[in-house]
Amino acid sequence: MRNWDAVIIPGGFSYGDWLRAGAIAANTQAIEELRNVVDEGVPVLGICNGFQILVEANLLPGALLPNENSRFVCRWVRTCVKNPKGPWLSLVSDGQVLDMPVAHAEGRYYIDEETYKSVASSSPIIRYCPGFNPNGSLYDVAGIATEDGLILGLMPHPERASEDVLAPKGFRAGGRAIFESIAYSLKRGW
Amino acid sequence: MPLTSDEVSEIRKILGREPTAEELAMFEAQWSEHCSYKSSRILLKLLPTEGKHVLVGPGKDAPAVKVFSDWVVVFKIESHNHPSAVDPYNGAATGIGGIVRDILTLGAKPVALLDMLYMGNPRNSHANWLIRGIVKGISDYGNRIGVPTVAGDTFFDEAFNTQPLVNVACVGIAKTGDIVLDSPKPGDVIAIIGNSTGRDGLLGSSFASKPLSDDVDKDIGAVQVGDALTEKLLIDSIQILVKKKLVKYVKDLGGGGLTTAISETAADHGLGVVIHLEKLHIREKLTPLELLVSESQERMLIVVDPSKIDEVEEVLTKFDLAYSFIGYFTDDGVIRVYFNGIKVAEVPAKELAKPRPIRRASTPPQEALKGLKPVFALPPEPDYRKAILSIVSSPNVASKRWIYEQYDYEVGIRTVVKPGYGDAAVLRLLDGSKRGIAVKGDANPRYTALDPFNGAANSVGECFRNLVAVGSKPIAIVDELNAGNPEKPEHFWYFEMMLKGVAWMAEELKLPVVGGKVSFYNEDHMGKQIKPTATIVGVGKIENIDNAMTMGFKESGSAIAIVGVTYPELGGSEYLYRLFGVEEGEIPKPRPVSEIRNARFILKAISLGFVNAVHDVSIGGASIAVAEMAITGKLGFEIDVSKIYARGIQRIDEVLFSETQARYVVEVKRDRIEDFKKLANKLGVRVSIVGNVIDKPSVVIWNGSRVVASFDLNELAYEYENELEKDLESGA
Repeated sequence: MRNWDAVIIPGGFSYGDWLRAGAIAANTQAIEELRNVVDEGVPVLGICNGFQILVEANLLPGALLPNENSRFVCRWVRTCVKNPKGPWLSLVSDGQVLDMPVAHAEGRYYIDEETYKSVASSSPIIRYCPGFNPNGSLYDVAGIATEDGLILGLMPHPERASEDVLAPKGFRAGGRAIFESIAYSLKRGW
Repeated sequence: MPLTSDEVSEIRKILGREPTAEELAMFEAQWSEHCSYKSSRILLKLLPTEGKHVLVGPGKDAPAVKVFSDWVVVFKIESHNHPSAVDPYNGAATGIGGIVRDILTLGAKPVALLDMLYMGNPRNSHANWLIRGIVKGISDYGNRIGVPTVAGDTFFDEAFNTQPLVNVACVGIAKTGDIVLDSPKPGDVIAIIGNSTGRDGLLGSSFASKPLSDDVDKDIGAVQVGDALTEKLLIDSIQILVKKKLVKYVKDLGGGGLTTAISETAADHGLGVVIHLEKLHIREKLTPLELLVSESQERMLIVVDPSKIDEVEEVLTKFDLAYSFIGYFTDDGVIRVYFNGIKVAEVPAKELAKPRPIRRASTPPQEALKGLKPVFALPPEPDYRKAILSIVSSPNVASKRWIYEQYDYEVGIRTVVKPGYGDAAVLRLLDGSKRGIAVKGDANPRYTALDPFNGAANSVGECFRNLVAVGSKPIAIVDELNAGNPEKPEHFWYFEMMLKGVAWMAEELKLPVVGGKVSFYNEDHMGKQIKPTATIVGVGKIENIDNAMTMGFKESGSAIAIVGVTYPELGGSEYLYRLFGVEEGEIPKPRPVSEIRNARFILKAISLGFVNAVHDVSIGGASIAVAEMAITGKLGFEIDVSKIYARGIQRIDEVLFSETQARYVVEVKRDRIEDFKKLANKLGVRVSIVGNVIDKPSVVIWNGSRVVASFDLNELAYEYENELEKDLESGA
């Protein structure tokens, strides 16, 4: 039995992004362990490469393709949260704007229309605000969660947007809300 | 460069016999210009290298500067010009790999990368291919190892169409007590860790020590191929080995490969070595000669006390990092190399490590007269509205977003002032305090080509100003001198003058030059040298990152001030080049006394809270600097250039576009203007209040009662933000 409160898979080119971002990590012992704790209701957050791993492991729907312009992009963006629920977004209100930076080469979210329709109305989705989609993601999806919000994956980096000193002029430290949410949720007993 | 016949007879004399093939290869690698600095060593002694902050000066793999009493900054610069000309992607990527490993040798944690790229015209198809490959190489490698690329410099010029300059720097930090400053002793064992040795980069440093051949594909075997994942494992494992005090000494296997690493380590400590080549972990079957001079990447040499071998193996195994123990140190100063029990080389370490320096002839070429010509016959005055739009959209001025957005510039959450926001990058130490450092790299190839002495001095001056503009106190610099063929006196002259210019200005500004690199043979296959370029990377110290200054306007109603005196210095300016294609004339004079005085004033004004934004005046001149502040801050302005304090001005373009040094543009808070002026008076600094930041997206430049130029800010911003990308996309 693992005694984990929550799991965060951070960004960072696991296995050098060889083959496809996240593809090798998704097939490791670590992810098998993760599947077990997911069944037990442990909250999981995947950031950037962590999101790519969760998608490759089929723990979240869709796929992450190379950016539309085929270049790596590091940039602050504005996102907007729809249907917030679950431990990672418990303090976030519907429609709340979160500013965070992205830094990835393979972040163009792809999902087929049918699956999208089935998840869009109920699952938490983090979208790039108009004019901020950095990679050509379909439906401006920056992050998506399971319907209960237990597993959340997102391309932007909330950990780089948790202190005011790191937010450049014109942006606010939007990632903090995610960490405050999980702290709140865990303290209340998740 | 193959050994000359003189050198071969010298080697015979050292050995007292005919050298073996392996020995010859070792000498060729180690005596290459790249590894031995044989042409530059005598002159390099002119650089001021000492200061109260200097903990480790030049001579080691990397220097260390004590920026705070408890924190040391380790930083170094390197060029990968030749490999990048042949294979831009791998050439640039392995440049990053090499410079990061240099930082690791002292046990520091790499926290920032800088790339100073001097490349061809983006609309030239070959140059375009090189630019894309270079940036992608740095992006893919730097991003994968988790070290942010936070700052840099670029210049685009036809002279670099086939031979670009790729200068990269890495900055590391370490607690003062954690720096590795131990020495190997006889009996200590040598391990090579990281990548297996293959046939890539054979004699690469020798290849970099000669001109490119006319068919560059012939040189492809000399280019190394990078593996960022292994580099990341090296970074992590070396920090653990250092923290656990399991290693006594660390050295990178860079140019010259195993030969250079062992000969320099042995020679520096008066030791000898015994090496058994067959123990080295390899990728493919190699001859002993190839094993000695392969430049396969991501390999490092560590020196281990025999009693610690088990613990070292444990750490390396945990990181899944390959290693081999290949030999040990002796006390006789002789390098003995065996392969399967057969001795293939036996050479004295000292003689191998340091060839006799060569005194090169130096003659100023006819071309250098261009830089002496006073600019008295200026072309007729252009339409200044068009002129400003044209300069703002010049690739040398326009936003470098297309480049820096491909770099992860904030991994590690230290980057407080990010690319595009300020004159230098500001990083916090992340130790719970508010302290931080600023870093920036600078050069102006046009200046150094016209006047290598003053141009190189101006590189030092610009770097100094950029560090000051963000509110940091400049502490130390490293330099990279990119020059032509040292065997040609009229090429060597540029190197000599650039070096003297750096030495003079660094001395004047009290900035120790703690390390550096020399790159020769930067010429095309026709023997034409690139624009000789002196690149400077500097580190500054910030007590409180909350006070770090950015360049964008913040508040309408604040005043715009020009700090410093403007002189009619249009020689070598972006204005003359961009508008009229003229690249000649006396370049702006270095003004060290004004630099020091004005810097002291700027730092004081920042710490007293008088100012909202600071930007140094550099390429393009004061009008372009103000425009950049408006574009970045998304606020318009009105200025009257007749209010700029200037001397000897005949025409309005001399005010708008002069690149006079030691100047800043400052946004002064509305209610602190009098304080600001008083402080300037007290410190003997000339300031001119020239206008205001306004609430509308419009820009008006007046000359007294006459409008010189007016713009919609969005129009200016569009040109500034998009032109480089357009150039790059259209030249593909």
